[in-house]
Parts: sequence; C-alpha cells; structure tokens
Amino acid sequence: MLDLIDAWLLAPFGYGFMRRAAVAGLALSLAAPPLGVFLMLRGMSLIGDAMAHAILPGVALGFLFAGFSLPMMSLGGIISGLLVALLAGSVSRLTGHREDSAMASFFLMSLAAGVMLVSMGGSSVDLTHVLFGSILAVDSTALVLIAGIASLIVLVLAAIFRALVVDCLDPLFLRGQGVRGGLVHGTFLGLVVLNLTAGFQTLGTLMAVGLMMLPATTARFWSQRLEGLIAIAIALAVLASFFGLLLSYHLGLPSGPSIILLAGMAYIFSALFGRQHSVVARFRRRVAPLESTPPAA
Amino acid sequence: MSRLQLDNLHLSRGGHTVLEQLNGRFQDGAITALIGANGAGKSTLIAAIMGMLTPAGGQVKCTVPKERRAWLPQQLALDLSFPMSVEELIMTGTWPSHGAFKGYCAAHYRRGREIMSRLGISQLAHRQLGELSGGQRQRALIGRTLMQEAELLLLDEPFANVDTDTVDILMDTLREMARQGATLIVVLHDMEQLSQLADDVLLLAGGHGQWVNPERLIEQQGGVAPRAPRLPITLAEFSHARSD
Repeated sequence: MLDLIDAWLLAPFGYGFMRRAAVAGLALSLAAPPLGVFLMLRGMSLIGDAMAHAILPGVALGFLFAGFSLPMMSLGGIISGLLVALLAGSVSRLTGHREDSAMASFFLMSLAAGVMLVSMGGSSVDLTHVLFGSILAVDSTALVLIAGIASLIVLVLAAIFRALVVDCLDPLFLRGQGVRGGLVHGTFLGLVVLNLTAGFQTLGTLMAVGLMMLPATTARFWSQRLEGLIAIAIALAVLASFFGLLLSYHLGLPSGPSIILLAGMAYIFSALFGRQHSVVARFRRRVAPLESTPPAA
Repeated sequence: MSRLQLDNLHLSRGGHTVLEQLNGRFQDGAITALIGANGAGKSTLIAAIMGMLTPAGGQVKCTVPKERRAWLPQQLALDLSFPMSVEELIMTGTWPSHGAFKGYCAAHYRRGREIMSRLGISQLAHRQLGELSGGQRQRALIGRTLMQEAELLLLDEPFANVDTDTVDILMDTLREMARQGATLIVVLHDMEQLSQLADDVLLLAGGHGQWVNPERLIEQQGGVAPRAPRLPITLAEFSHARSD
C-alpha cells in the first residue's frame, strides 16, 4: 500500500521538472483564484478570457524579438494586456459604450494580431506552446518569475482588498469618499493581466484563465462568504494543480488541460452536489420552522 | 452661515440644461425635502452636491469635508448579491477614519453593535445582504451612514419599498441626526412622509427650483396630506411661498 502511494504520489516528484512544475502550479494556485472570485462577483467572468487573448500579441512580439525568452515574452504580454485594458476602458468612458463591448472588440483584434505575429515568426509548434503552455518545461528562471509575479499579486490584492470590496458593492460610496473607483478597478485589471502572463508559460494563455475562473465558480456552490469563497477556491486550485500534474505524468497527458479538466470536474460535481444552490441542494432544501410558536387558537 | 449653499447654480447633462438659476441655503440641523416629478433634476442636483458633477455655471458652496458627506442612492444602484454581512456593511462606514488599510478595533465593533440595536437589526448582524428584505437592507444602509458620522446626508427615496415599521425607525433616526446638527436632504414623493419629516422643501420643476414652506405645500394640496403630490406641480402656485 505504502509502495503504491509512494509510486503514485511521491516518486514523480523525484524529478526536477516535476518539482518545479509543482511549485509553479502552487504559486499560480495561490494568486489566481482570489482574482477569479472578484471577477465572478463583479459579473466579469468572461473578461479573463478576453484579457488572455489581449496578452497574445505582446507575447508574440517578445518571441519575435528575443526568441524563446520567458522574461521578454512576459514583458510583452504585460504591456499588450495593460494596453488593451486601458484602451477598452478609455473607449468605453469616452463613447459611453459598455466596457464589455469595447473589450470584446479589442481582444478580437489582439487575437488576430497575435496569431499573425506568431505565424510570421515561427512554426505552428510555437503557437501551440504559447496558446497551451507546457508546465513540465518550466526552468528555474521561469519559476522565479512566476513565483515573483504571484507574490506581487497577493501583496497588491491585500493592499487594495477593502477598497475593492467596497467598490464591488457600492461604487458610489467610494467615489463619495474621494477615492477614484476607476483606479481601484484599473489596478485590479492590471493584476488579472499580470496573473495571466505568469500563467501562460505553464498553462498557456488560454488555459491560464481556467485556473483563475473554475475554482472561483466552483467555490460559489460551497460558500456564501467572501473569505470562504477565496479559501475554497485556492484549495481547489492547489488540488487540481497537484493531481493534474500527477495524472499528466502517469498517463502521458498534456499537463495544462489535465489540470483544468480536473478543476472542471470539480465544478460539475459541485453544481450537482454542492451545499449552496446546487441541483441537489435545491431539491433537498428543508423549510426551517419559525422560531416562535403560533398563538393558541 | 449655512454649510451648504447653492449660488446661481447651472447644471447640465449631455449638453442639455437640467437646472438653472438655482439659489438658496440648506438649513443646518434640519431636513430638507427635495421634490419634483421624474426628470426634474433631483438626481442631477444630488450628484452636483456630492461633487460628482461639475456645474456648467455658478457653484455649490459646501463646507462639509468630502468624507463626511454621505449619499444613499436608491437600492437598485447596489449590487446586493455581493457576499457581505450586515455587520461588514456597517463597518465600511468607518472609511473616513480608517481608509483602505487600518484595522477595526473593539471600540468600532461596539459602536457598530450599538447602531444595529438602535435600528433593530442586531439579530441580522451576520446575515448576508442578499437575504434581507427591502426594509432590513435600508436599515443596514442607514447604519453605515451613522457609522460614517455624516454631517451632510443625501437620501434618494429612502422609504421606497420599505415597511411601515422601518419607515418609523428611519424617520426617528433621521430626525435624531438632524437634532445633532447634520444637514439632511431627502428625495420624497409621498406628501404624508413629507409632512412628518421635512423642515423645508426645495421643489424642482421646469428647470428651476423653488423653496417652499412645507405647511404651505400641504395647504396647497387641499389641506390634507395625500399619498402622492398632485402632478404636475407648477412653480407659479408657490411663488413667494417661503415664509422667510
């Protein structure tokens, strides 16, 4: 029995690449889910997807100029992601159109530009790598970068936490207090971009969104409190990363999709059997009696 | 000297004039009702007083610091599906003194509990906002402004979709705040509530404002306080109406 546990759970981490992959997954699992929780609560679950496309042209430019250099590709991704967020924000503010329509327009342009840039400079293998990542190819430089960005995200999120919560509930209250809600919102979107850039090396630009959103949407079936949502989402992301890696190692599956599909299975399970608002919970809900007794007839 | 004064104020939205030549002082330590038909410019005036809308001309002279001004919008403006408990909402009222970083201490939690018991929502402290009734939510929101120790309080239809018990409690609370010196401006549609609450009335119609004495307004409406003002109200009915 112990041999089996050792062979399945521990032995794979005897390899350096698996250890680095596990640490990278852990770092992302701590930083991404809280962002996902806020995106979900603000009704912006799909913005993560748009942002993921927005970082693509920058990553491709970095790749064209410096070859397969993670720092350069990340820098490019951060710049183009922030640029698109800024442009979308400004267009929506200047024209009065909703932010999501501006975001949709810009991310589609980015995606097209990104794919064109990648295909101009490299083979289709490179494109697959950028889009879907490969967590097993994380080297020490990449690991330091990922861990650094993840730490920065957690610290900045802690700093703007109260402002972000108040802004989500009642943006006018914050504005009334002289705080520029746009600044809080912008910083938050900046963190989302940073997180996606940290994630693209390991999971790819598209899959990185999964580790951010799926644990968050899953947690909604288990908790109604903000702290609960964040804690559960982080725990789910850690578990999905760890077991996703193991699955990919033992069965020879691609690592990114293994991790995200595990998180997806947790979502489906929770939607069916979760404690709050799940299918089963709706059927099973008992009606609690009133605390007071009815008056005697 | 009054804390809040309008000086030949001209307000516009999207290139259209909403209100012009608006003058007058809001009394300190009193409740001013802001009335007028939909689209008369009540929300525009509130936005200008809160400093969120730059006047096209004239000015709002307000000596109350920004963090002591509170605006309670209609409930629809809030995302009440956000996971937050009543106590947490009330504690966000400490923003003026605590900002984004400072931790809450026991004294603040104690004050929060006092406020909740005064508003009759102690038993709801740990309930989520999304689970509350309209009246309970409104009590919690008023609780936040109490925590904020607001000196200037603007309320947009605070009694809409609220049960009568809550209306009574909120009216008492608002009057108490006025007694302690706060300046309150309340958007109202219900003349009965107006007759119970308002010390002064600013009537907006046709792009202009008119200060009206509340008793005179009720009298004009036929001596009784009907459920809603007879619309449209014209300013001509109230010329020289204010007794000062």
